[in-house]
Amino acid sequence: MKQSKTLYLFIIPGLFLYLLFFVYPTVNGLILSFTDWDGFSSKNWIGLENYKKMLVDDSIFMKALTNNLKFMLGVVIFQTLLSLGFSILLVKNSKSNIFFRALYFFPTILSSISVAFIWGFMYNPNVGVVNNVLGRIGLEALAQNWLGDPELALYSIVFVQVWAHTGQMLVIFVAGLQSIPEELYEAVYLDGATKWQAFKHVTWPMVTPAATIVVAYTTIQSFKAFDLIFALTGGGPVYSTEILSTYIYHTAFQSSEFGYAAAQSMGFMLIIAMITFGQFKLLKGNRAS
Amino acid sequence: MIFCNITICFEKEKGNFYHERRKGVSKRMKKLVNSASFVVILAMMAAGCGANSGSAGNGAESSNGGGSGEKQTTINFIHWRGEDVKIFDQLIEDFEKANPDIKVEMNVFPSEQYLANLQTKLMDGKYGDVFASYPGAQFETLSKAGLYEDLTGSEYIAAYSASLIEAGQKDGKQYALPYQLVYNQPVYNKGIFEKLGLTLPQDWDEFLALNEKLKQNGYIPIAFPGADIGPGQFINSMMMNNNTDEQIWAKVEKGEAKLTDEWFVKTLSQIKELADKGYFQKDSLGTNKDIAGSLFAQEKAAMLATGSYMMAGIKEQNPNISQGLLAPITVSRDKAVYEGIHTTTFMLGINAKSSKKEAAEKFIAFLSDKAVAERYANGTGQLVTIKDVQYSTPELQESAVWVDKKTRFQPRYLISDAKIEKAVTTSVQAVVSGMDPAKAAADAQKIVDQNVKKQ
Amino acid sequence: MNHLNKDTAAGRMLKQTALIGFALLILVPVSIVILASFKQMTDLFENPLGWPETFSLTNYVQMFSEQHLGRYFLNSTLVTITTIACILFFSSLLSYAIYRFTGWLALVLYGLFSAGMIVPPQVNMIPIYSLVSDLHLTDSLIGLIAVSISVFMPVSVFILSGFMKSLPKEMIEAAAIDGASEWRTYAQIVLPISMPSISASAIFLSVMVWNDLLFPLLLINSGDKKTLPLALLQFQGEFMTNFPLIFAGVIIASAPMVIAYIALQRYFVEGVTAGSVKG
Repeated sequence: MKQSKTLYLFIIPGLFLYLLFFVYPTVNGLILSFTDWDGFSSKNWIGLENYKKMLVDDSIFMKALTNNLKFMLGVVIFQTLLSLGFSILLVKNSKSNIFFRALYFFPTILSSISVAFIWGFMYNPNVGVVNNVLGRIGLEALAQNWLGDPELALYSIVFVQVWAHTGQMLVIFVAGLQSIPEELYEAVYLDGATKWQAFKHVTWPMVTPAATIVVAYTTIQSFKAFDLIFALTGGGPVYSTEILSTYIYHTAFQSSEFGYAAAQSMGFMLIIAMITFGQFKLLKGNRAS
Repeated sequence: MIFCNITICFEKEKGNFYHERRKGVSKRMKKLVNSASFVVILAMMAAGCGANSGSAGNGAESSNGGGSGEKQTTINFIHWRGEDVKIFDQLIEDFEKANPDIKVEMNVFPSEQYLANLQTKLMDGKYGDVFASYPGAQFETLSKAGLYEDLTGSEYIAAYSASLIEAGQKDGKQYALPYQLVYNQPVYNKGIFEKLGLTLPQDWDEFLALNEKLKQNGYIPIAFPGADIGPGQFINSMMMNNNTDEQIWAKVEKGEAKLTDEWFVKTLSQIKELADKGYFQKDSLGTNKDIAGSLFAQEKAAMLATGSYMMAGIKEQNPNISQGLLAPITVSRDKAVYEGIHTTTFMLGINAKSSKKEAAEKFIAFLSDKAVAERYANGTGQLVTIKDVQYSTPELQESAVWVDKKTRFQPRYLISDAKIEKAVTTSVQAVVSGMDPAKAAADAQKIVDQNVKKQ
Repeated sequence: MNHLNKDTAAGRMLKQTALIGFALLILVPVSIVILASFKQMTDLFENPLGWPETFSLTNYVQMFSEQHLGRYFLNSTLVTITTIACILFFSSLLSYAIYRFTGWLALVLYGLFSAGMIVPPQVNMIPIYSLVSDLHLTDSLIGLIAVSISVFMPVSVFILSGFMKSLPKEMIEAAAIDGASEWRTYAQIVLPISMPSISASAIFLSVMVWNDLLFPLLLINSGDKKTLPLALLQFQGEFMTNFPLIFAGVIIASAPMVIAYIALQRYFVEGVTAGSVKG
């Protein structure tokens, strides 16, 4: 059927809003990054100075970047492994499996604020549950200052992030696993393979597409963990939980350095693009073999 | 694309099944969705056009009601003290009775996002006809942006103690009037001190001994809210005698003095000493001011490392507690210059972009009235900067004693760059968590170097 | 699958332990919080883990009366429903157009929206804030809705156009033979058959919009226009120690999503698998 002109009308409302409130700001961000705008005065062109500062002269940016990478690695590794592991255990559609899957998925629908409050309470050193429970079972020595210890805080938050989103990735893996035809397994077991070999030669290759999605999704999600960290620790203590998104927010709204924050945002976007691209290549290469 | 494989297979199978089931529902739902969204789009466009040309009618009470011919102005009053809302409501009621043509609408934003919210609201000119601000970096930022109306020469200024309104001055002009007077030094439990026969320390060794005795007797010597305001508050009394130069922070910001100099490293190491000796509660870096406050109110802690502004709230939690203010003297008796730290804050200002300045001025004049200020002070438990106010609560009377002592304006507020201020408070957190003071100072200095004012 | 039958007793026990362990990890914190919301503060400090001494609804009452949670609830509902309705409408039109266009325009549109999914909101939050401020739309629900629509639309476009790609071309041919216009083909043929995809998308987006904190934080300041997540965040400032009160707020804020989840679980799951690229 020939395309009629009305099709062009179809795209107008959505495209208009999208261009105005999303694409234009992104481009504008690029322009802002070359100014010294402080949020309300004039915007003065300062060229590449913001970028220079970001790369050479800002120890907190580097710290935020390192934290973000640590966070991302921690979340991606644990979340992927956990969700994959559970998905293998829960792949059959039995009543109990469906129940477990539904339960594990549950935290995903809570807002990050709610999750932050729940775990903020759990981790609280004075009245919190974790230390309380450890004390009662005699493991008081293990009680830590979960969110107040600069060495530990980031990893405590990794735990929360994994807690909240494993169920979501689990669902994707289950979908992937369920699409693997039984015959492949039967064939391989007929040849006398062990469970581990079955996994290596049948499960893993077939689940790689799902794994790619999970890893990519988890990565982007972990970079976006703004809500959770903002509500739990605000980036502290001692910048130990400051990640790029919270640092950008602070630079803009606490230090009134909007131009610089825009430059940081560009850097941020570039980093995400590079990492996502890298992952793509890596896992795509895997699949080919 | 790889992604499509799974989704399409999944969707197709389910799709057919659901299509059958939902055929009846879908038409209705679709119609609903379509009509709803059309209405919404129209509404949006209408409102969008309206929003540009002035008040969107949300939030601000319309000033053109009645039709009785009376012109009524509504002014917007912005601040951060949720605790004061009840008292302000009463005061506003009285103000409106005395000024029937003015209505006051009050908005409170919590202190963390205060500056961020404040800037946008002020720039619009629609809001913040009267607004409160912090001295220091916030005052700097806002006055640089030209958001304060010049109040110099106004009558009501005479009601204020001259020495206490300096924080709102710049280049000889009065831009904002500090309304509250607070002392940023540790609060102590008089009952516990009496019980143990403790006297107020006059030098560092006495302070350490005091803490030790408290610890031996099973008390938490100092409740330290390391998660939020503790570092920023405590650093003041700890450094006030280590470096008595009023200009020191200006010098640090210009690069003429460094945080790695002896005075700052000494301050950090003294704070670390307190932490190492166990004089702070466990996990102090994870404790916020409310929890630290409860520890103190429950008389588990003998001192609270915050300031006089918490005394009223503590009294509410524990009506039997008897409180006082003290300061850690970090040097030997003969070298001690200052006895405490004061801050004049909650600075009232008028939005330079406001269209209702006259009404705004009337409101400020009202608040500046001695009787009104007295009601505010006794109602909220805060000291005020207005002259000759009579305080009726024991906490206020206790704090008022400090007006005659030699106190220093909160040094931390003399830091005009927010990043540098944060670096300083962060270094306190760092040493409490065990970092070497010299290293913590060096880390903070690195950030200072990166933000030094390029004059 | 067959190979699971080869479990040893030890293997099975390990499996059960792991499953139950993680289940507890989820149930325990959530139940503690639910129980805590019925306690008073002192009760909580004495007995954080146990059953409440007295079941009191004061926290819930306080949330609605003193803290105006009802108002924020309304705001969240208004913002979410409007945003979702608009997104579904616009993105279905867009996806249909992408489906029907041949040539470079379809590719460009598809690429434009897909790229939008990779860009996390934190990246352009500053310019969006600046734009909204220039348009004088800060602190208005209109502004928030407009931004939310634009920011979350790529997901829906991605899901729907992905789905539509799988539709047989014969459907369109049949409609053409009947002399149907583009609009009729869209409205009466493609849209109904895309309903499952649309519902999955709707639910997926609802969770994101309902729970969104960043844009309300950025764009809304006034007390009476806050959405639930923002209100909760600001409670934290005011009531940091009154955990039971905050928890009551959390439960009220989460209730709609939880109820929807229990009733429409299937769609939540579909939404995830269908939208499984963007967060």
